[in-house]
Amino acid sequence: MIAAGALSGLVVALFAAFAAGIGVGPVSKKAAYALGVAGSAVGVLLSLLVLVGGGSLTVKLWQVTPTTSAQLVVSPLSSYFLLISSLVWIGTCLYSVRYDDDYPSTLSSLLLLTVVSMALILLSGDGITFLVGWETMTIASFFMILEGKGNRDGVRNAAFLFLAFGVGSSVFIMLAFAGLFSSAGSFDFLGPAAPAAVGPIASWIFVTALVGFGLKMGIAPFHMSEWLPIAHSSAPSNASALLSATLTLMGVYGLITVVSHLGQYELWWGWLALVVGGVSALLGALFASVSEHTKGLPAYSTIENNGLIVVAIGAYLLASYYHLTLLADFAMIAALYHAFSHSVSKASLFLINGWVSKVKRSFDLNSSNEADERGSSPVRLAGALTVFSLAAVPPLAGFVSEWMILEVLFQSFRFGDLTSQIVGTLVGAVTALAAGIIVVAMTKVYGYGVLWSFSGRAREEESGKGAGARDLIGGSLLYFLALVVGVGVAAPAIFFLASDAASQLLQANVFGTFVTGLLGVPAGFVILSGSPFGGFSPTFTAVFMVGLLSVPFAITRLGGPWRTRRTKGWFAGAEPAGPAELYNSFGYSTPIRIMLRFLFRTKESVVRVGAVRRAVILSPEEYVVELEVLDVFKRFYDALSRWTLGLSAYVSRKAMPGKLGVYIIYIMLALVFVLLYVMATVG
Amino acid sequence: MIPKYVERKQVEEVGGSVQLSSVFQASGRSYALLSDTANNRTILSDLPPKLGEEFGVLLRGGETRPGSPVDLDLGGRVEGYGVFTFPYGPVTYGVPEAGGFKFVTYGERVVKVIPQINFKKRGVETKVLGWDPEDALLLVERSAGNFSASYSACFLNAVEDSLGLEVPSQAKWTRAVAIELERIYNHLYAFGRLAEAASQNVATAQANILREDVLRLNARHFGHRYLFGANRLGGVRADISKAERKDLSDSVRAVVKEFRGLVEFFLSSRIFLDRLQNTARLPREEALALGAVGPAARGSGVQWDDRLTYPIEPYGDIYVNMETDPGEDTMARTMVRIQEIYSSEVILRELLDRMPGDGTATQAAGTGRLNADDFSFCRIESPSGDLIQVVQLDGQGRVRSLHVRPASLVNWLPFARSMETCVFTDFQFAFESFGLSYADSDR
Amino acid sequence: MTSGFPGREPTPSEVPGRSVPPRAVDSSEWPAGEEACPTGAIRADLKRIDLGKCVFCRRCSSAGFEFDEGGERLRAALMARLAAADPQELAKKQRVFKKSLHVLMIDVGSCNACNLEVLNLASPYYDLTRLGIFFTNSPKHADALVVVGALNRSMVDVLKRTYESMPEPKLVISAGACAISGGVFQGTESFVSPVAGVIPVDVVIPGCPPSPVQILEGLLLATGRSAKEAASP
Repeated sequence: MIAAGALSGLVVALFAAFAAGIGVGPVSKKAAYALGVAGSAVGVLLSLLVLVGGGSLTVKLWQVTPTTSAQLVVSPLSSYFLLISSLVWIGTCLYSVRYDDDYPSTLSSLLLLTVVSMALILLSGDGITFLVGWETMTIASFFMILEGKGNRDGVRNAAFLFLAFGVGSSVFIMLAFAGLFSSAGSFDFLGPAAPAAVGPIASWIFVTALVGFGLKMGIAPFHMSEWLPIAHSSAPSNASALLSATLTLMGVYGLITVVSHLGQYELWWGWLALVVGGVSALLGALFASVSEHTKGLPAYSTIENNGLIVVAIGAYLLASYYHLTLLADFAMIAALYHAFSHSVSKASLFLINGWVSKVKRSFDLNSSNEADERGSSPVRLAGALTVFSLAAVPPLAGFVSEWMILEVLFQSFRFGDLTSQIVGTLVGAVTALAAGIIVVAMTKVYGYGVLWSFSGRAREEESGKGAGARDLIGGSLLYFLALVVGVGVAAPAIFFLASDAASQLLQANVFGTFVTGLLGVPAGFVILSGSPFGGFSPTFTAVFMVGLLSVPFAITRLGGPWRTRRTKGWFAGAEPAGPAELYNSFGYSTPIRIMLRFLFRTKESVVRVGAVRRAVILSPEEYVVELEVLDVFKRFYDALSRWTLGLSAYVSRKAMPGKLGVYIIYIMLALVFVLLYVMATVG
Repeated sequence: MIPKYVERKQVEEVGGSVQLSSVFQASGRSYALLSDTANNRTILSDLPPKLGEEFGVLLRGGETRPGSPVDLDLGGRVEGYGVFTFPYGPVTYGVPEAGGFKFVTYGERVVKVIPQINFKKRGVETKVLGWDPEDALLLVERSAGNFSASYSACFLNAVEDSLGLEVPSQAKWTRAVAIELERIYNHLYAFGRLAEAASQNVATAQANILREDVLRLNARHFGHRYLFGANRLGGVRADISKAERKDLSDSVRAVVKEFRGLVEFFLSSRIFLDRLQNTARLPREEALALGAVGPAARGSGVQWDDRLTYPIEPYGDIYVNMETDPGEDTMARTMVRIQEIYSSEVILRELLDRMPGDGTATQAAGTGRLNADDFSFCRIESPSGDLIQVVQLDGQGRVRSLHVRPASLVNWLPFARSMETCVFTDFQFAFESFGLSYADSDR
Repeated sequence: MTSGFPGREPTPSEVPGRSVPPRAVDSSEWPAGEEACPTGAIRADLKRIDLGKCVFCRRCSSAGFEFDEGGERLRAALMARLAAADPQELAKKQRVFKKSLHVLMIDVGSCNACNLEVLNLASPYYDLTRLGIFFTNSPKHADALVVVGALNRSMVDVLKRTYESMPEPKLVISAGACAISGGVFQGTESFVSPVAGVIPVDVVIPGCPPSPVQILEGLLLATGRSAKEAASP
């Protein structure tokens, strides 16, 4: 047990560092990010202490009513998520020091405000603190999105849509919290010690929480909330990384926390989560594979990954319903592990794509100039391992988590009735399909983003700006590279942490059940699934692969009778005149657009402008090509947003002449006030 | 004797039933060769200036100097997000010849195709100037090796016409035998390539076997697998005896019988048919407007077969059926080819049965009246369609000018048009069904 | 149906009449037949026939040359020969390709007849895969380059590029009179030079076009398995 005093000190230090960073942001960006790194490092330390050392901490901030107090709780579960987030924040802040030169320095304050609100969410022990953090996070992110470099209207629309979804999310979370409140009789329902809700109210809580947190995670049919703000605003990359890697992580945390406070699971919850997650995963993968936006593509991939997490949670619910304890435990660990692997890989991908966009001077993967050069070696290496991880290449983190999730679903036959078996198996198939399709997206984003170069030249490092720029951008990418590899190769260690985190749900630490030794691999290095069903040792796979790869590497590098001769690419004997004569990234995924036209609502039209003369048809004509992919849901939301914007314009004209931003803050404050008032009266 | 269809007159405008077939230069002047489809006549005209402009692409393709590739562009810019030009060739297996394409596409879907020809333009027409026709023949028949019989017969007919040579009927009938054999093996080749493109390996192997059988027949009866040297000035080399005729006729019948079985198999393979049906559609109007010839035109329902439309001896005397198909797609063009293999067998049999016995070479060489400085020409239905050669001899009977208008040259643009809105994988089917050859168009 | 070659001698139908090289009727006295040859293949000064130039048109039959139809003709038709500048280097390469050879055909200005004869090797009549020889579509996978056609000016760079793209070690085989010497197209405006003038050639296969069996013999010669060697197990 770690002394409570030390933990309290760390909590204070964490918030103090972030707060100082926010304050110093407008003055010195570098100092702000340095404080951000410091605060995040404290977060890592704090969470590791709690996870490894055990125990938890409750800090009462003030007593609102006799039954309700605003409090901070450091539990294993929140520590686990704080660890993931802090690791991502460190890399993002490092990267930001040189990255956001083009953005106003207030961006650093906004970024740290978002970070601190997330920390508040993770450490909150009561519904009120949680909601305060949640709203602050939404508002801060809203302003970060407004800093986007897309066209003005696009950015505004994206930011407001994000806000609209944020408000929707808050409403549903409040509804879920109302349920929890009525069950617990207090707002202090987020700590590990809070009682569990049972009966019909539990179903209410589950569904509203799934919708509320799902809105933030961007799962179908709310996936618009994820990709649109990021893609349409072309928000700064560090902001995008934060939004996509950790903001959605808050949704995962919220969902898992709420589930941990539900006493008895209904059968249909599992089905619902499985179906919603499976559909999200497939849609996310498909849309990622046809996206041409350097930020939109990773954002879609986030939808896929969050879908996978929801699938794992669904499997956990089903397995628990059938009292398949082992399977349920494994599913929950899978969800937690996937959250970890996805967050670090996705943050890394966003930062790499930020670099790509900066070099290309475009957010369009498809835009290719003759002068484009491929990424320098740290970017290439980090990019390769990041996309390998997201495309589930063993032994990286993405593979381990996808293997775990599929392993659970392949055991659907253990479920107690036929419908569950069929649902589980089908979702398993869909998940596997999504995992396959995402490979297209990942090869595309890497091939056309990092590797693309007409001349075949790699990028020389920028001189003049000093080695600092190179070291920090390259360095932060290498930091993520280490995380991506580490989370995968050291999966048993992550298992240890996740088991500790899940003990709140699983009533036992299951580390020893799943991590053993097998077939000569020493104990602690093999992960066994469920019953056991299958096993995998990322560590030894890594050793094996490195061993195998080093043989040809050694042969080619250390000499021998083979000479290396470099020749140009082969273009069927021709020599392409320029980038316009090379296969582009749009063309790379056009077959998918055409084949799945029913899903993408692909419109394809080639119009010949100009008359075709009889007898001689050689007259000049003009072809206008159009190939557009439509998200079915976008139509619905477009209609909705038009309607909402019309209404709000009407209301603002009639009732509230003034600045909209001010009103939003005002409304949020009012909301918090009302909540406090309600609590007080209820109390 | 070649019927005198050539008329020289000034044509102001092309329209109605008159189609522009070729444009060429001789002695510093430009001429147009026009086909009057209503009256089955060919008209030689000075080139109307306006026509020259409009016919630009073909003119460029036909008249460019050797040494640099030429884009046969139907014209028109292509605009749109993600559009790029995908070069294909000149070293590919899809087209086992030196020639390229540029696909304008946004991936998978072909918006426009720009065939690139002239990679191997050898300039036969300019090389043979001042040559003895007999020497020129060596080059002419090697312009397009797989259309050698058509090329040599076409060239010789025109030269003999200029020289005023009376060529015995047996020689002319023997030339027709070679032309029909050539048609059969070329159509079998196209069929084999189509089957190969659809991964129908058994059908491919069988088509290859049948083609090899015909090539060996060529070698046995004409001395050369690709019929090089089968024809010579004033006659032919081979004197096919009665017994050999029987043998040839029987062998061809056996090949075609085998082929019928293969076609039955092909028509029952849904996978194969799916790749051909509705692939690379060439509507009849486009085929007419772009001047498609040969099986490509007949697959769009155009009634045009030189053996009937502009018949030379012996096609006027025997029964030739016009094989057309209104389908307008690759399937239709394939069916035309299949039917032509059948009808060629019938033609061959009739040619061999009724072959006159008046000798294989002109007896009185050099006795004819030389038509110096006048154009003479010949049109022959080569396996890919209408082949035109215009020859002008000088006072010593040497070549003064030669113009070759191959079938492939005019079929590039219809092919390019048909590929629009197709996908990449349709390319092989469209290409082989048009029977295009770079050697032919680049001569 | 599949050819017995190289296990057996080629049959007359595999090496038809126009594949056989001419020879002087009276071997003791070389006929003065240069005038009759359109491609200058008859070298009276060297008392031999340059098979690389011969297009087998048989015009010389009236000038003291004959085309033997006897048993020896089939053997005489196997005309492929080595042309490598450095035989030791070639022998080294041949050791590598003894068991398997991947071949890419490149057309640098042919009349299409050579192309068809090369492709014909894949037909069941010749079936080159039985000998461990395969066609490939990319120079990056190719061991041997079979060049056909009279080298055209617009194909020089393409040929060099293709050769450059092939991995070492590599073989080059000139098939047909046009690739070896230009054939009937020597002297045309676009003709550059024999293929050997641009890239090093290891084996030449005379013929216009060489028949599939003749090409096959050339390929076997290139891999160091001449017809004779391959015949004995």
